[in-house]
Amino acid sequence: MSENPTTETTRQDAGGRAIIEARNVVKRFGGATAVDDVSIEVAPGEIYGLVGENGAGKSTLMRVLAGILTPDHGSVVVDGRELEAGSTRAALEAGISLVHQELSLVPELTVAENIVLGTTPVQAGFIKKREMKKIASDALEEIRVQVDLDEPIVRLSVALRQFVEIARAIARKPRVLILDEPTATLTPAETDYLLDMLERLAGQGLAIIYISHRIPEIFRICNRVSVLRDGHLVDTVSISDIKPNEIVDKMVGRELKQELETSRTKVAAGDVVLQARGIKAPGVNGIDLDVRAGEIVGLGGLVGAGRTELVRAIVGADIKSAGTVTINTDGTMRRVNSYRSAISHGFAYVPEERRTDGLALTMTVSDNIALPNRSQLSRYSVLMRGKIGTFAKELADAVGLRPPEIQREAGDFSGGNQQKVVLAKWLGRKPDVIILDEPTRGVDVGAKVEIHRLVRDLAEGGTAVLVVSSDLPELLDLADVIHVVRDGRIAGTLSRDEADEKSVMSLASGESQVRGL
Amino acid sequence: MSQAQGIQLGQEQGGLVSRIRVTIARRTEGRALALLILVAIATWITEPTAFTAWEVTLGRVALIGLVALGLTAVILMGELDLSVASTLAVCGVVMASIDNLALGVVAALAVGLIIGVVNAFFVVVVGINSFIASLGMLFFLRGAAFVISNEEPVRLASRDAGIAFGKPFLGPLTPRMVIFIVAFIALQVFVTRVRAGREFYAVGGNREAAYDAGIPVRRRIFTGFMISGFVAALAGVINTLERTAADPTAGSTVLLASFAAAIIGGVLLTGGRGSIFGTLLGATSLGILQVALTLTGVQVDVQNIVIGLVLLLAVITDPNSLRTVVGSARSLFQGRSGSHPVG
Ligand SMILES: Nc1ncnc2c1ncn2[C@@H]1O[C@H](COP(=O)(O)OP(=O)(O)OP(=O)(O)O)[C@@H](O)[C@H]1O
Ligand SMILES: [Mg+2]
Repeated sequence: MSENPTTETTRQDAGGRAIIEARNVVKRFGGATAVDDVSIEVAPGEIYGLVGENGAGKSTLMRVLAGILTPDHGSVVVDGRELEAGSTRAALEAGISLVHQELSLVPELTVAENIVLGTTPVQAGFIKKREMKKIASDALEEIRVQVDLDEPIVRLSVALRQFVEIARAIARKPRVLILDEPTATLTPAETDYLLDMLERLAGQGLAIIYISHRIPEIFRICNRVSVLRDGHLVDTVSISDIKPNEIVDKMVGRELKQELETSRTKVAAGDVVLQARGIKAPGVNGIDLDVRAGEIVGLGGLVGAGRTELVRAIVGADIKSAGTVTINTDGTMRRVNSYRSAISHGFAYVPEERRTDGLALTMTVSDNIALPNRSQLSRYSVLMRGKIGTFAKELADAVGLRPPEIQREAGDFSGGNQQKVVLAKWLGRKPDVIILDEPTRGVDVGAKVEIHRLVRDLAEGGTAVLVVSSDLPELLDLADVIHVVRDGRIAGTLSRDEADEKSVMSLASGESQVRGL
Repeated sequence: MSQAQGIQLGQEQGGLVSRIRVTIARRTEGRALALLILVAIATWITEPTAFTAWEVTLGRVALIGLVALGLTAVILMGELDLSVASTLAVCGVVMASIDNLALGVVAALAVGLIIGVVNAFFVVVVGINSFIASLGMLFFLRGAAFVISNEEPVRLASRDAGIAFGKPFLGPLTPRMVIFIVAFIALQVFVTRVRAGREFYAVGGNREAAYDAGIPVRRRIFTGFMISGFVAALAGVINTLERTAADPTAGSTVLLASFAAAIIGGVLLTGGRGSIFGTLLGATSLGILQVALTLTGVQVDVQNIVIGLVLLLAVITDPNSLRTVVGSARSLFQGRSGSHPVG
């Protein structure tokens, strides 16, 4: 698909007249400075990358550009004219459209209504349905995605929701399109599709600001890239002048140990700890699965293949219609019938939807981490405050929480850091079985390495690990065995030596027979 | 081009049957409808008079339902208005205290609107949780109703108008029923076809997204509370006219009944989900139930027990709660304590 003729040739290079500028933007939250004197400028037709660790201030800067946040200092300039600060209206009218890091659709409204949200065409207050649908279908056409306009958002898959959000941004006829980690929830194929789309849109003269933790994506589509660290702009470079590892070094401000490549020392796998037989649930059509002590089993496949449904059924978070799950520790076999029994038998489960399932946003990080670990932290059922603090601090450091302030409310942390909190709270249990659903989605490269190390440490300590990941390199890096799931069944199993990107993807997409793999 | 890459994003449009299934699956009123049918069948078997005397039943539905309709507007935005019953009482008293009937009605409705504005002011501008703000209003207004009325019912000056008001004027329909139907249609149209009303769902379903999309969230909340205040005042006016007097204790059961109607109708208390039509269905179920139970001679206390059970039935049959219930029951029978399907 990269042989799209329009993109490479018509895309303007950096140095063209800027359409949007951030001038010396400063944004503070309480005492902390999230964005510190940052200036960037983006030209029409340019795809401008923005990278940085979790909490570096990327989303904050973009929210300033979109008028959602009022900067404490500095301004946003479009076409040489200063925008009214902190006005979403003004930003929209100036043609700035933001696709948020968190999905920001209204669940019970339809696709069409969400696409025109805030700009619904009306006549005397009444919605002009036909015009609304026309706008929506035009926008979807523009990004070449087909979806029923009358479908409420709740009934769509995560990926489709993401594309609906992009359609909404497009429907506003933007001149500047900002995407904040749009690919975090997408499969490789969907990501490909999105990146092609962005190149095409840039070819039509749109200025695009693109945020991602996935460096290869930046290299594939961006003309220039800016690196943020702790709210400061570290550098802005043309993509042809820099190498991927140099970007990573600039992000973390030190040379990242190349642990990414260190292959895992193979642990002699122990007894089967987690045994699932004939699991059936909505989206899961009969799956058997064994995980041994010290083993990391990966579940690969496309989003919607039934992996999340499978692990939810295994831990009892959703009801299974058939099948049994047993956990075998200390020589005793026990059936897992409900989520609570799973937890009491030594399961830990890090869900995919962390913001809704895994985190109490208005509680402090410390309390969030303590939550599933109450028994270790209390004596005679009374929680010991002091112990919680040190316990939480240790774990927060282990996952690289930034800033490392465990007494702040979880909701105040950046997206990636919220993920780390959820992870931390389950890692603390030293569980017999841990199930991780997309453990590093939205997490920066540095923290990813740390989290991978933690997971390996757990396995080496004898924990049975089951990982669901759409991030192929991660799966290949972590797992001893990969089961590829398709249509709720295991389409194939690959050992560490057999597995590579191609073999997993062809099993996942069901093209193995065709290609004779 | 890239479409040929074969990433599958959209889903196929099916035939008529699946189209209908999809349409049903999209609605939030399913349970309310099922419950209504259940109640109707049970009533049909045990006490068919509830249907033959349908004017009585419809009158009861209108009585329960009117305030619930207004309240739904507020709940859709994820806010609560506990002051509706007191609003009803105080507006009735205000109306009866003014000798000129037309002036009294206008004053009562204006007071309802003002109460809505004050509620919204506390919620939006001062930033008090709406439960607490409207709880304060509940007490304040009830007290005010007693003070204005000197703690006894206030006679309506123009009794004839009141008596006339209680009579059917449109076929068998009394003005109360007509007003109820008109209010239903107006609100239903408002939240489905009018932009401001439709945006109530955004305010309740994902407030941050609503802000980011440039929806005037504060203004919407003001509108919602004003609707609820106005409709409660309207109910107060109707009550006063029909009884030719305003009782400061009026509407004591209204608050709980309207919340029950909305909840049975599938309106989510945390906002964003539900519909005016659902509330209508909920109110209808409750109305039929009350009339049938009264006709069979069941005491009011026992009626309340039945209504409570129906309410719980409606809530636990919600697919989300149902999953929890089934999970808990299973593990209970397998000798384990309850389960909580959370991460
Ligand atoms: N509403 C808020 N209140 C307080 N602090 C905040 C708030 N929003 C963000 N912050 C802080 O501002 C800093 C920057 O956050 P931001 O969300 O911009 O990071 P980010 O670069 O987008 O990270 P990520 O990659 O995790 O999304 C963080 O330290 C975060 O804790
Ligand atoms: Mg962010």
